[in-house]
Amino acid sequence: MSNYKMCMIPAYPLENVQLLKDRVIFPYVCYRTFGESLRLVTKCTEDYPYLSYLEGVDLIPLPEDQPHMEAAVRYMSEHAEEIDLLFLFGARGEYMKLARTYKSLRPDGIIYLKLDTNIDWANAYPLHDSQFSIFLKDCDIISCEARRLQSFLYKKWQRPVEYIPNGVYYPLYPEAGSVCFEEKENMILTVGRLGTAQKNTLLLLYAYALAFLQLKEPWDLVMVGSVTPEFQSEYEEFCRRFPPLAPHIRLTGNITDKRTLHQYYKKAKIFALPSRGEGGSPNVFSEAAIFGCTVIATNVDAAPDMTDNGRVGRISLDTEDFDSFAKELAALCLNPDYLARNFHEMRSYMKEFFDYEHLAVRLQMLVQLQSLKRSHS
Amino acid sequence: MNIQITDTCITLGEGVESFLLFEKPALPNYQNVTARPYISIYLGDGATIWSRLQVCTELLADFCHEDPYYGCYALLFRRLCPLLLSSSQPKNVVSYGPPADCGVYRVFQDFMTFLQEGSALTALSQSSYAFTALKESSCHAFLYCLDVFPSLPAVCDAISKVRPGGLVLLYTIKEPLPAGLNELCVHAEKDCFAHCTVYVFTIDESLSALALANGSENAILSRAEEVLKRANDLQNLVHAMLTGTPLPGDAYFIAVTILQQTEEILLSLYDYLEDDELPVNANALKECILNYYGGIRRQCELTSYREKLTQSSELFFAAVEREFQ
Repeated sequence: MSNYKMCMIPAYPLENVQLLKDRVIFPYVCYRTFGESLRLVTKCTEDYPYLSYLEGVDLIPLPEDQPHMEAAVRYMSEHAEEIDLLFLFGARGEYMKLARTYKSLRPDGIIYLKLDTNIDWANAYPLHDSQFSIFLKDCDIISCEARRLQSFLYKKWQRPVEYIPNGVYYPLYPEAGSVCFEEKENMILTVGRLGTAQKNTLLLLYAYALAFLQLKEPWDLVMVGSVTPEFQSEYEEFCRRFPPLAPHIRLTGNITDKRTLHQYYKKAKIFALPSRGEGGSPNVFSEAAIFGCTVIATNVDAAPDMTDNGRVGRISLDTEDFDSFAKELAALCLNPDYLARNFHEMRSYMKEFFDYEHLAVRLQMLVQLQSLKRSHS
Repeated sequence: MNIQITDTCITLGEGVESFLLFEKPALPNYQNVTARPYISIYLGDGATIWSRLQVCTELLADFCHEDPYYGCYALLFRRLCPLLLSSSQPKNVVSYGPPADCGVYRVFQDFMTFLQEGSALTALSQSSYAFTALKESSCHAFLYCLDVFPSLPAVCDAISKVRPGGLVLLYTIKEPLPAGLNELCVHAEKDCFAHCTVYVFTIDESLSALALANGSENAILSRAEEVLKRANDLQNLVHAMLTGTPLPGDAYFIAVTILQQTEEILLSLYDYLEDDELPVNANALKECILNYYGGIRRQCELTSYREKLTQSSELFFAAVEREFQ
């Protein structure tokens, strides 16, 4: 089979913003690469203006008077024949019945499960539950978003788990094509929910202060995203304690306009990711990387993948070690040649290994192999 | 299910169906060579084997009547008894399946010690390593619960631990037999009652040879050979890819298929691998081949894909060599 009828069903009703994130974008690129059709089956809870970016996709609204997954299972029992490849997102208990229903009606059909997991989730899967084990068996292809997790899951599940990172769909970033290193400024950028425990923003703030003392020329720190009240206080206290640094640090607040956000990526030379934990590589990493930012990250699961094991970025091993993060940060700021060279290296690396169009070709072959296996059995 | 004990017989019953477990002989015979008398004729003092059997089956009922394997244990006892009586040597019986605190162990051990001081009933833990601690041909009997580990190589390993003339008793409450065990079980006698089945193997030369051929050591060796063969095929294919040798259109598809098969074989050997990263290394090589193929198909610059493929293949082939050669 060369053209697959595809279907993506989320575990919970889709939100508009999710239409341009991995759970929908990857199935969409697969559809563009080897699909005949793609239907998104969801209970609709809001308008979906981003659907206009997804040409050719059918949005199938589930009845409003039933719980989302119950309605999805009913839909599946009536339409399984029209689905050759089912995309699921997250190894969630909610999917168990849906997957079983599909497999019982379409034993020749393929289920692809994108795990969207992190180490906490991966540790918490109820493997002792027979229904959950059946669900995993029902999934023909399973992928996770970080190599470190892949290795962990191989040992835990003793079954193949593919590594397919969170990637980039380049047509959504037309400005990334025209970026050049000469337009960049001495700017360190971070994007995220500032001040949350997960994002560990304080590490960056104080590491920046430590690094600042070693720099030959000033660098600005720009922090984009919503700010927790605690972090706002910390930031104000920081500015009072270190007045010379205050003019170099900016909190922009949340930026919803993509074009404005992309301008920051265009200007920044360094993108900082001080998180305590991330599942795969976060979307903000991919965005920064395609704009040629050199990434400095803590040792989150995907850090070796994001930096090609430290080749196109830097990893600070301990998420609580201010000195280490500051040292790596200062080393980057003091090495303009590396940053200029890495601008190209990083962009090439992304294009070669994180481009969803490339990843879709990989998945296509895995799906074809599974189809062949199914037809033989 | 219940056990009924009378002066002359012990039966297993369910509804109107019954199964004769033990019958009291009318006269002494040559089947018991232990120091204990089977039945009392004129020396009335001391317990007889028959009276101990009655006590033990009563205990079995007390301890295990709610256990789904209750009927199996009774059938096992029936088959074990003649073996225990057949020589005056202490017996070495091994059991794989029931949890360590299961009452059946107390019953069997009590009866074995009654017949012969020094007889041992060893309960193995439910682990694939449990058998490796046992010497070949060292047991008189092996009681094996098929439902715990329904694997042909494991059953064959159990057979190899039993001496000639000894018994392997496979028991199950499930139907049908797991794939791969049908052929072996044609060599067994079969006792069935209600949902309980016991397969009885008496060890002889031909059965030992069959077990050796299908045991885990041979299974591992033959799978290791399969891995090596596939690795060899792959090495040639990857070399051709990297040197730009013209390849047929489906070469990448074949390479990925071989790697998927290799991954599956490695995962089936997972418990025995010294390098438990080997399956994931196979997957990483598969990913590199897919990337390289994707690069060709999308007419990209191939340098990075080639570098990764070189690194990954070197890592994998070296790891295979370390593990299997």
